[in-house]
Amino acid sequence: MSADFIQLLVGGILLGGIYGLAAFGLSITFGVLNVLNLAHGDFLMLGSLLSYGLFVWLGINPFVAAILVIPAFMVLGVGFYLLLLKPIADKPPHQLLVASILVTLGASLFIEDITAYFWERPVTGISYTLPPMEVAGVVISSTRLLVLLFIFALACAMQLYLKKTFVGKSIRAIVQGREGAKVVGIPISRVSALAFSIGMALAASAGAFYVTLFTVTPVMGIPLTIKYLCVVVLGGLGSIVGSVFGGLILGVAETLTAYYCGAEWAPTIAFVLLILILIVRPEGLFGAKK
Amino acid sequence: MVFYSVFVLLWIILAALPWLGFSYGVVWIFLLAVSFTLALSYDIVGGYMGYMNLGHSTFFGLGAYTTAILLNQGFNLFTSLLAAFLLAAFFAALISYPLFRLRGAYFALATFGLISLIEVLTVNLRDLTGGSGGISTPPGNHMLPAYYMVLGVAAATMVLSHSVARSKFGLGLFSIREDEEVAQSFGVPTSLYKGLALVISSVPASLVGGIYVWNMTYVSPESVFGLEIALSPIIMAMLGGTGVMIGPLVGAVFITLVQEFLWTKVPYFHLAMYGTVLVLLGLFMPGGIVRTRWVKPFIQRLGLGEAVEYFKNVDAERMS
Amino acid sequence: MSRFLECRKISKVFGGIKALNNVSLSVAPHSIVGVIGPNGAGKTTLFNIISGSLLPSTGEVIFKGKRISGMGPARVCRLGIARTYQLVRPFNSLSAMENVMIGLAFGRAEPVARRARVAEAFKILQMVGLEGKTNHAAEGLTLVEKKHLEIARALATAPQILLLDEVVSGLNPTEITRTVDTIKQIQKRGITIIMVEHILKVVMALCERVVVLNYGVQIAEGTPEQVVLDEAVIEAYIGSFEDAEEKPHA
Ligand SMILES: Nc1ncnc2c1ncn2[C@@H]1O[C@H](COP(=O)(O)OP(=O)(O)OP(=O)(O)O)[C@@H](O)[C@H]1O
Ligand SMILES: [Mg+2]
Repeated sequence: MSADFIQLLVGGILLGGIYGLAAFGLSITFGVLNVLNLAHGDFLMLGSLLSYGLFVWLGINPFVAAILVIPAFMVLGVGFYLLLLKPIADKPPHQLLVASILVTLGASLFIEDITAYFWERPVTGISYTLPPMEVAGVVISSTRLLVLLFIFALACAMQLYLKKTFVGKSIRAIVQGREGAKVVGIPISRVSALAFSIGMALAASAGAFYVTLFTVTPVMGIPLTIKYLCVVVLGGLGSIVGSVFGGLILGVAETLTAYYCGAEWAPTIAFVLLILILIVRPEGLFGAKK
Repeated sequence: MVFYSVFVLLWIILAALPWLGFSYGVVWIFLLAVSFTLALSYDIVGGYMGYMNLGHSTFFGLGAYTTAILLNQGFNLFTSLLAAFLLAAFFAALISYPLFRLRGAYFALATFGLISLIEVLTVNLRDLTGGSGGISTPPGNHMLPAYYMVLGVAAATMVLSHSVARSKFGLGLFSIREDEEVAQSFGVPTSLYKGLALVISSVPASLVGGIYVWNMTYVSPESVFGLEIALSPIIMAMLGGTGVMIGPLVGAVFITLVQEFLWTKVPYFHLAMYGTVLVLLGLFMPGGIVRTRWVKPFIQRLGLGEAVEYFKNVDAERMS
Repeated sequence: MSRFLECRKISKVFGGIKALNNVSLSVAPHSIVGVIGPNGAGKTTLFNIISGSLLPSTGEVIFKGKRISGMGPARVCRLGIARTYQLVRPFNSLSAMENVMIGLAFGRAEPVARRARVAEAFKILQMVGLEGKTNHAAEGLTLVEKKHLEIARALATAPQILLLDEVVSGLNPTEITRTVDTIKQIQKRGITIIMVEHILKVVMALCERVVVLNYGVQIAEGTPEQVVLDEAVIEAYIGSFEDAEEKPHA
């Protein structure tokens, strides 16, 4: 394997890690609320812009920003939930579906349009680099490596949180079955709010990394959400491990496509993968077969 | 029968408009009829069958591009339109297989992604489509014939939508919307019907797409795959009320009026305003205008109740 | 000659649970067969398999000499097996009339014009006592009415076999008497009935033969009178009583 290819692979894995992290957030909210948040990508975008702002104005380094955005977006997430999702949470399934699509899509349009008005120029990456390292003859950017480690740590922390804490267990219980969870006395509404805000914070945190590497524009939210869809379906609906792997696959596929076919074809690969997996294995790579 | 008479009367008035000197009104009605046709054809999948196809404008765009390309090759309008709708229908049939393996919000999001996929394709396949600059078609003033053609397509779509609602096929679509699993257990060939509904809904959309470019003599990815063209028909259908023919009509008139009076005054935040409308609809009125407490009795008294038939006794309160 | 409906050695595994274990059942035409057993015995799972909603893990279902397991629920319905749902699932925002018309349109019934279909639907609604509610959305009906609508919708498919999953549970005595009458009427039309029921009185009154399941295993089969005296059956029911009484303390 050439050094070039390894570089590409590392870049792809990194991008994939970011997708995986955000898609994981989307999975949690869908599992708990039964609502697919179409505005999810916009929170990555907002997280990116915020950490960019922190860097430019206050000189805060993106790794710190990735932590700082978490509480900020958790608060935002609770607000979003209370204002827009709680009022529709108890509708019967078909109405919940329609209402949730309307509300989250509307919120997404609103956020993007307002942000685009105030933020005219696209933000092109944070110029934050650490000295590169050499591993087995391949030069690897240590910033990227650190980002990867950080994402990995965050994912592990999340997994631990879900497995060990009471709230985490409640979240998993609700994912397993809303009715059952209600019966054993889990405060559905409060846990939902929390789960939603966690999902949002994960997206925003992923955004802080995204901006260190890629260009951020206000209108990238919806295309991003569509990529998460691809990631989630690839991995299998409801599978956390699946999300991470789905993210990695998409990240690598996108990077390779951009390199070999030209950057203008990169946006198509997510959808192509989505169609492929739906034809070949609709339950996803890690989903349970019916 | 009152139902038909009202619409026949309306169409006679509209057809007479150009001869009464309302040339501005003609342009306006043309655009309104395009939106209305899109909203109504969307409703076959989105309203009757309950699958929110956010990518409905893909068919519009495909129709527009096919027509433009063929017109430039020297084909006449009717051949181009024929090819446009055959292509769109074929595409719908093809894409229905993987897409309908998704349900609910996942389906909605995936269809939304379909628009950007086709948009990227049109931008990238520069030789065929002219890339992001778009392509012009043979010039000429086609306003009047285009006006009548769109009125015709709109009327045909109404007849189509009405007869679907009263047919066995329509019953099948409703049952899929209500509970797909139960529908299957009662013998409804759900996969076939879902594909068929998508194909049927693609035809009017691609036809008005073709007529639209023929009239405008220009098409670009932005003009047919943009967010506004994607969302406004759906917002019209949802705002008016899905699953009933009168809904998209009410919604189309309402939104077109808003666009006419608000858009020209406020150049910014169009999408943000659409967003706000969507949020408010979702929170307070998912049944749409025609199913609110104040409007429903009025519409039934007008004799249009026949169209609201299958929602007869669902309270507006419970819908919202 | 093979029987009318035959389930051969059916097993169904969900994850680690064996919901059905080697269950065999054969049903003669025009009979009423009861399937009883404690909660979680696998009765609904058996119905899901007969109606094609679920695939058996092993075993097969034969209907009029044809293997129907694996055909998918839509084809099974068109062949003449219809069902009701224990937890009612009418098409909520459609009217009672439309619910029944869907059964008529897609089941085994001869295709007819819309007008004739409406008339036929009305007759069926009359039979279950819903003639006053034809234009009401199913969502707004009471539980009893919803259960009757379930029966009507299934009848509309012109079935040869009707699977009734606890259609009288949760009703009061007068309603039970009514529903039992309806079931008798249905049988008079020559429709074979398999019913799951917890209320033994109803089973005794209606069924010619009863199959008892417990934890997915078929523990007894015979006339209702034989079955209620069967030791294994008594054991299973009393066992489940004791379970129920012990649980709160556990
Ligand atoms: N789709 C499924 N997935 C996993 N387990 C299931 C599923 N359906 C049923 N089960 C399990 O199979 C067992 C049998 O369930 P079933 O619903 O057939 O019981 P039943 O006899 O109808 O009980 P009841 O009298 O409560 O209706 C139960 O333990 C149940 O939890
Ligand atoms: Mg049961």
